Amino acid sequence: MSPDQAVIVAAVALPFVAAALTPLFFRVLGEGTGFAGTLVALASFGLLATQYGAEGTVALQWIPSLNVALQFYVDGWALLFALLACGIGALIFTYSPAYMHGQSGLVRYYAALLAFMGSIVGVALAADLIAIFLFWELTSLASFVLIGYYTADESSQYAARMAMLVTVGGGLFLLVGLLLLSIVAGDVLGPASAFNLAAMLENPEAMQAALRERGLFLPVLGLLAVGAATKSAQVPLHFWLPNAMAAPTPVSAFLHSATMVKVGVYFVGRVRPMLVGEEWLLLFATLGLTTMTICAMLAVAATDIKELLAYSTASHLGLMIAGFGFTSVYGAETGVFHLLNHALFKAALFLVAGIIAHEAGTREIAKLGGLRRDLPVTAAITTVAALSMAGIPPFNGFYSKELLYEAAVEASHHHEIGALGWLYPAVAVFGSIFTVLYSLRFLSLFFGDRPDELGPVQSPPLTMLVSPALLALLAAVVSVDPQFAVDLVVQPGLEATAVDPHEMHVGLPTSYSTPVGMSAVTILVGVAAFPFYDRLHDAIGAIPRRVPPIGANWWYDALVGSLTDEGRWLAGRVHNGLLRTYATWTLGATCALALVGFAAAGALDPIRLGLEATPSIALVLLVAVVGALAVVLSDSHVAGVLTLSILGFMIAIFYILASAPDLALTQLVVETLVLVIFLLVIEEIPDGAAIGFSRSVRDAGLSLAVGVTAFVTVLVTTGARPAGPTDIARGFVAEAVPQGGGTNVVNVTLVDFRGFDTLGELVVIGLAAISILTLIVMRGRGDSDLIDTRAGDELLDDGSAGDGPVGTHADGGDAEGTDSDSTDAGSESERGDEE
Amino acid sequence: MTTVIMRTTARAIVPIILVVAISLFVEGHNLPGGGFIGGVLTTTAFVIVYMAYGLDFLERGILGRDVDPGKEPSRDRVVVAYRRLFAYGFAVAVLSGLAPLVFGQAFLSQTFVILEGLPIYHHLEVASALAFDFGVYCVVVGGVLTILSVVGAE
Repeated sequence: MSPDQAVIVAAVALPFVAAALTPLFFRVLGEGTGFAGTLVALASFGLLATQYGAEGTVALQWIPSLNVALQFYVDGWALLFALLACGIGALIFTYSPAYMHGQSGLVRYYAALLAFMGSIVGVALAADLIAIFLFWELTSLASFVLIGYYTADESSQYAARMAMLVTVGGGLFLLVGLLLLSIVAGDVLGPASAFNLAAMLENPEAMQAALRERGLFLPVLGLLAVGAATKSAQVPLHFWLPNAMAAPTPVSAFLHSATMVKVGVYFVGRVRPMLVGEEWLLLFATLGLTTMTICAMLAVAATDIKELLAYSTASHLGLMIAGFGFTSVYGAETGVFHLLNHALFKAALFLVAGIIAHEAGTREIAKLGGLRRDLPVTAAITTVAALSMAGIPPFNGFYSKELLYEAAVEASHHHEIGALGWLYPAVAVFGSIFTVLYSLRFLSLFFGDRPDELGPVQSPPLTMLVSPALLALLAAVVSVDPQFAVDLVVQPGLEATAVDPHEMHVGLPTSYSTPVGMSAVTILVGVAAFPFYDRLHDAIGAIPRRVPPIGANWWYDALVGSLTDEGRWLAGRVHNGLLRTYATWTLGATCALALVGFAAAGALDPIRLGLEATPSIALVLLVAVVGALAVVLSDSHVAGVLTLSILGFMIAIFYILASAPDLALTQLVVETLVLVIFLLVIEEIPDGAAIGFSRSVRDAGLSLAVGVTAFVTVLVTTGARPAGPTDIARGFVAEAVPQGGGTNVVNVTLVDFRGFDTLGELVVIGLAAISILTLIVMRGRGDSDLIDTRAGDELLDDGSAGDGPVGTHADGGDAEGTDSDSTDAGSESERGDEE
Repeated sequence: MTTVIMRTTARAIVPIILVVAISLFVEGHNLPGGGFIGGVLTTTAFVIVYMAYGLDFLERGILGRDVDPGKEPSRDRVVVAYRRLFAYGFAVAVLSGLAPLVFGQAFLSQTFVILEGLPIYHHLEVASALAFDFGVYCVVVGGVLTILSVVGAE
């Protein structure tokens, strides 16, 4: 069965449309907006569910000239992930109104949550590389808004920024990887399929062979791995995920259990058939197992229930990545099955953590205990979910962990990996022992003694209890009859991610095998070590405190902190509020870029100075040069302006000699006007402010640079012009009378042929007039503000003391401002010349 | 600069400048000139008036209105008139560009007719581009004079 285009597009678009309509919902429903979200999520879920069993691509036209289309690929793996996102999304929306009761900014919250869900569904279904990247980064943007929900809270801002930097940064690696992939695909599959991931996955061997042939296999693998690792919080980029718990708990539950953090895992599974091989095994199995172990240990060191769950999430993501990393079919089984299991139990646990925080008023593990009597239903939910997380048989986490052990043991059969053949299983067991430990610790919040300082704990509202209960129920169903879940959703997912899928069977082991022994060791050691939990907790927690550089967070802080400081230093230099500083940097940078650009393009070589000017033109130009020198040497403003106009009039005469009467006329009139404007303004400028030597050297250097750049630019651009009139020029001359009915080609060009350009010029003149009007009106109104900034400038400008007496500083700035206005006006009117 | 020489010269040359400006504008299609140059030259005439007689002369001396001395220059009635001029000019230019759309032509496409046998002129060419050029003229005059009078009043 092939998928229905309208249904798929509707399922992806619905959350986005609803996100745009959220303010409307909120006006009608108030805090009940969450339930509208539930309906939207259920609608998307229902639409996607109708496509169960479908496989194929649907495409909408997007950028046909680049062969980019908005394509969606539907198969078991995409549907599993999209359905999880919608299903758990519906539960989160149901849970939210009670949890977020009385908070402000709910419109933003629900809109972002809906957009987030839509982006995740988009990533799951997108088959076009560009669309994947777009949805991928959209999830980062939406999560940025969600993690930073408490906008006034410093730690919330910090966490949101960190998540954004890491995941968007990783997304850029992904983008480069995808582009490399598209280049190869364009050659192998034809340009029409350059961005079509579905087409690539249909020819995995050809793609892999082509990638290897070009030496792009390792770069693509590495870049995609960085993208996936940042999104899925793999060591050493795992640190953003625990910080992301600054978000409201429903967001954490959604983000950490079913959606964003799993996008990386999902993508690894998606490209697995195409890139799988020995490098793949070494990269992802090592990365995943390392993450699994380190984050499990960090979870044991956690002091906050959400922190514990966040580290545990990273650890389980490591498990899934490791699963996909193993090249045998068990690896794919691990990844797909654990993705489902983890989503069920971790979402439930996060929602339980939300209930605890909401009702008990604290999230500190040390202050909680014996909650079983106050929250009996929650305790039952937690028992199922926590034992499942620990991988205790017969709960569902056990089955997928068993598959990981099997894949780890199998790894040495498929590839020559030497010592890694026993190291992988050993590390898997070692990491899982910590998983058992922290799972039991979380469970023990409900058992044992109730601390005396713990206040009264009320039972949560029904809507907060329904969602985790439903999740725990689903987890229990999978636990009791795993084969049912496997047949329903895991097998279709397996077929998309495994190279040689077969009929998958899971169930409780009936006879001894190596993985069963490993599970037994894990559980026995875990339970035996539980009495020593506090000592382990202290020991692991002490390491990063003693040696800060061992924590990834420390590196992030050091890097970002130093960047911020450098940025502040640079801003003080470049952006100090003084017009002359801006002019210096802008002009200097423009000159440097232009000259370097010419040099790089090799345009500077063929410049030859043509000296075939007639005597009259030479004389006019000579007078102009003398005038220019006089401008620089003149000691009063009026003399300067007058000599400047000598220059302008000489240029006008030059135009006449070069038979361009229109230009000459414009130049003459504009020159006169500019002279008048200058004279008007100059009266306001205080005369004779002494300029320091260093400043005049800098100004001379800068003006020399600008002059040289302009000179070289003119030489280069006119040097490249073909001899004689171009086709365009000849065309204009030939068509002027028949088409425009005018014999003045310049004017006919302006109003008949290039009327749109002239219209643009008119807009420029209008804008100049309006902006000068605004500037002058606003200057009258905002005097106090200006004084403040000037005071600040003086503080910043302390380094360049000797600019003149501080008292005249403000005046100087003022004069500069006015001066720039009039030059603006002048240059706008001079634009006429260019016409 | 309100000297006697300046005033006397201004009286003589301002009308000449205005006539030249208008002729430049009208003849622009066939001879050097056009809306832009015509506009700038007209502005120059106004500038000479301003320089010779002061900023308020237009209102007080020619239009016979009283001038409120403490008023912001941007709210001056003459400045408002200048602003209106360039707004209208822009509207004329855009409308003259939109007109061809009615006849199924592209935006800003122009045409012309030659009228024969008229008294005095005998032979007159009327180009639709003149309307667009008139817009240009108005925007230039209005815009530059707005800038000038506001900056000049400072």
